[in-house]
Amino acid sequence: MYDHQEIENDEIISLTNTLRWELGIDFHDKIIESIYADATKIAKQSIRVEDAKNSTIFDQKVDSIITSKWFGFPIMFLLLAIVFWITVAGANIPSSWLAALLLDTVHPFLKNIAAQIGMPWWLDGVLIDGAYMAFAWVVSVMLPPMAIFFPLFTLLEDLGYLPRVAFNMDSLFRKAGAHGKQALTMSMGFGCNAAGVVATRVIDSPRERLIAIITNNFSLCNGRWPTQILIATIFIGSLVPPHYAGLVSAAAVVSIAVLGIVFSLLVSWGLSKSILRGEASTFSLELPPYRPPRILQTLYTSLIDRTMLVLWRAIVFAIPAGIVIWLVANIYIGELSLAEYFIDWSNPFALYFGLNGVILLAYIIAIPANEIVIPTILMLTVINSGLTGIGEGAGVMFELDSVADTKRILTAGGWTLLTAVNLMLFSLLHNPCSTTLYTIYKETKSMKWTTISALLPLTLGFIVCFFVTQLWLLFSS
Amino acid sequence: MSKQRACENCQAYRKEHLIRLGIGIDQYDYIIALAGNPNTGKSTVFNNLTGLRQHTGNWPGKTVTRAEGGYSFAGKQYKLVDLPGTYSLLSTSKEEEVARDFILFGRPDVTVIVADATRLERNLNLVLQILEITDKAVLCLNLMDEAERNHITINERTLSKALGIPVVTAVARQKKGMDVLINTIENVATGKYMCKPHRVKSFSPKLDHAVALLVEKLSKEFKNIPNLKWVALRLLEGDQRIIEAVRTKELGQLGEDLKSA
Amino acid sequence: MELILNPITSLIIGTVFLILLSWILWPRKGLISLWSKRSKNTKQKLQEDALKFIFDCEYKHKSCGLHTISGNMNISTNKAAKVLGQLQSIGLIVMKEDQIRLTDAGRSDALKIIRIHRIWERYLADETAIDNLEWHQGADSQEHLMSLKEVDVLAATMGNPVFDPHGDPIPTTNGELPTYQGQSLSSLKEGDIARITHIEDEPSTIYAQLVALDLHPGMEVYIMDVTDENIQFAANGKECILNILFASNITVEKLSKIEPTQKKYQTLSSLNVGDKAQVIGISPKCRGQERIRLMDLGIVPGTEISAVLKSAFGDPTAYKIMGATIAIRKKQADNIYIKSMLNKNEQTASMRELSGVS
Repeated sequence: MYDHQEIENDEIISLTNTLRWELGIDFHDKIIESIYADATKIAKQSIRVEDAKNSTIFDQKVDSIITSKWFGFPIMFLLLAIVFWITVAGANIPSSWLAALLLDTVHPFLKNIAAQIGMPWWLDGVLIDGAYMAFAWVVSVMLPPMAIFFPLFTLLEDLGYLPRVAFNMDSLFRKAGAHGKQALTMSMGFGCNAAGVVATRVIDSPRERLIAIITNNFSLCNGRWPTQILIATIFIGSLVPPHYAGLVSAAAVVSIAVLGIVFSLLVSWGLSKSILRGEASTFSLELPPYRPPRILQTLYTSLIDRTMLVLWRAIVFAIPAGIVIWLVANIYIGELSLAEYFIDWSNPFALYFGLNGVILLAYIIAIPANEIVIPTILMLTVINSGLTGIGEGAGVMFELDSVADTKRILTAGGWTLLTAVNLMLFSLLHNPCSTTLYTIYKETKSMKWTTISALLPLTLGFIVCFFVTQLWLLFSS
Repeated sequence: MSKQRACENCQAYRKEHLIRLGIGIDQYDYIIALAGNPNTGKSTVFNNLTGLRQHTGNWPGKTVTRAEGGYSFAGKQYKLVDLPGTYSLLSTSKEEEVARDFILFGRPDVTVIVADATRLERNLNLVLQILEITDKAVLCLNLMDEAERNHITINERTLSKALGIPVVTAVARQKKGMDVLINTIENVATGKYMCKPHRVKSFSPKLDHAVALLVEKLSKEFKNIPNLKWVALRLLEGDQRIIEAVRTKELGQLGEDLKSA
Repeated sequence: MELILNPITSLIIGTVFLILLSWILWPRKGLISLWSKRSKNTKQKLQEDALKFIFDCEYKHKSCGLHTISGNMNISTNKAAKVLGQLQSIGLIVMKEDQIRLTDAGRSDALKIIRIHRIWERYLADETAIDNLEWHQGADSQEHLMSLKEVDVLAATMGNPVFDPHGDPIPTTNGELPTYQGQSLSSLKEGDIARITHIEDEPSTIYAQLVALDLHPGMEVYIMDVTDENIQFAANGKECILNILFASNITVEKLSKIEPTQKKYQTLSSLNVGDKAQVIGISPKCRGQERIRLMDLGIVPGTEISAVLKSAFGDPTAYKIMGATIAIRKKQADNIYIKSMLNKNEQTASMRELSGVS
């Protein structure tokens, strides 16, 4: 039933359409122009800017240095290097404290209690050796660098320096089809990819934001630095005389990080030319005036918003993973544990990529956090190669203080220089950790982009490892 | 600055009456909308008034949905709704839709517009757009300390006169100006201060004619709606929400409610 | 452990695998996309295309026969006759001798397809970065896939547009469409000032040429010279010479102005650091989110703007707009028209320099 008014109102809509056709295409602009015209008039009446030149002269001087051809990039590299150095140097000490507390004190203590109250061995294993160990590992490795890196980064942001970095870097990123601000989210990714993905919110253009999200994983995050450093020290540093060892292994790690940046730009370019071609794209970058940073608020922001959020998500994912890790090492079918079955089964395949079954399994079950990859690899290697008397028992992740001992375990597991190089490459080029994947899903609200973010680097990783291995074998034989 | 200090002694200064209510607000006497451009310290104002720690940080686009909180002042309960920060209300993005619809359909008793004093001209764009929709508004000029540092002086009285709404200066980060803001909100909400909002006189002859035609038709169907010109403009912009409201008489209901209130 | 395959064999297998993979997945040219394109060419599509074309003829008061249809749709006369026969048998058209008319049902169906087509073009233009040469093709395949309801939902999120990006009116859900107005660019005389309301996107070869000249609906044109073969005019701050045949694909609305707003524009990208200017407008070429963004920043006619800083590589450039420092790229600044605020002598000098460069 139509009542009278409804018909009347449809007439209004119909009239509106006729009027809109008569008005043509640019009347929306006219409305905004009229409003701005009034705004300008009102502003002229009531705002007075006294010696505008003087007030901005400081900013202009600073800007002319920071964005100059000769000083712009050295200043940027220097500042970023300082931030990374403070992070790496500063995180070592609290990290070892936390490790001593959580891994070496609380863990035996909990084991003790469990033994006293007569907890069944499997429950004790699942809860304490599995869930608790994963939690403890993530906290002690992840928390300190993030708690140092994020506040420093946020300080640079508050100062107004980071927008200038984006301003300078935009030219490079534009050629890769990306936004200058991706330089910032990429740097943030060196701290933590999940935080880097959240930080892409500063990119307000849909296409460039997706590019930044998908490629953030190519920034070597702080969970992967220790892996790189350890493997480089063991296998690459040992190739040269001892007094060059430190330098050479550091150079190897840095070149992996640089390779990551190169991949990031190449993949950005590829994405903008293919699957993301149709996404809308705009650019604008505000250069805010330099401000004195607010230290306390910065600490609060970066601790609560970035560090705690990421840490919490990581823990939520790490605990179930810890349980799974313990279970695969301790559930036996016949003679062999689940882990050994998988390792034996996947080894022939993995060897074509210069990896081995242990590495593949470790990357599958340690998906929640890259931090627990090395402990898992060590644990699995010990199980698989039948070494005894090392580590803490089946299914218990561990790390050794001595690099030489670690090397002994790995060589016993059949590791060569080729394995080491491929592990370093694979550590750079594989799917993001589940924390990051979850964050990507939350930010994009799309299963499609999350899947692409996971599979794209993984596929690249396998391709790169395969060709490196086969070419290596070709030329070394 | 000196004006604020002077006001601490005047009768209207009743800071001790401010009770921050956080989120827990069921009953309220007035509903206040908080609008503004991104990065103007809107959330800081919101947090100052409600005592909440809603954090938006430096990442824009965080509040697509609206945050709510409340405070009590001089015996009245105020419900505060933090709208997403937008530059404009005239295009089709989700944030702008949320803000626009709340100001028209949420019928706030007062709309507080937080503006960055150092970029007032750009912020005025949004202020004027909001004044096209609503009669009762307060302009809160935030970041006055930065404006001062940049040698920008703003004549609040001229500005207030031109806009037809009260203007309050503030440094939300240091909690300056919040007392005056609360008082002013009360004055506007209770009708002690009558706003005479600035409305854009003319767009272009063709558009003015179209708007006039529509307003004439609309005024027959919907009496008591104070801003039919805005409704007409939105119809011409093809705003689905308004088209629905016209079609389903929801708009008429809006007018009825306003009359009874 | 030894590998069964030697490195050379593995490398060959790996490379072949990679090539196969990219052959299948390659965007737009890979097997998957080719296959999905092929499966769309159905009977229904042909019928709908024919309906659309007949409607267009009626709308523009052009005659429409078997040959024009087969020519326009790029199918044989036999096939066209078959399609028309099908349309007649389901009561969408009536054929009298060589005259083809739409029935009411046919007209309503045609309007439905046109609505979907034009809204989708508008969507591609405003909400995506798809190139304007591909709008038509995209909409051509989309018009057969979407329902009117889906399109209404899409239209609502875009503010129910009433024009497509070529300047054509979009029919309403009820099938309303304004009567055809406008004249072709080729019918204008010297000294006329007009605004482009529509650029025909078919045939695509001519459309590509017009797009290459940077002509877009909404632009003001000022006719400078008309001969039997060519028409010379100023648009977008540039002078263009166009073949009359090409010009007839542009529809214009004559403006009753005596002076053109500006014969030649200077673009923001040509502003030197330290110089000040006034914004005249944003090119109609710049649309959708990009345009909204620029206007939100305060880039509207009358705004004062000054270039303050170039980045280390020279692009982007930061401009002072309404108290804020905003960096935009050269490609965007190319679309912003300005009037220099230098004194007279300097202005002419810089204009000369500018025309020398371009």
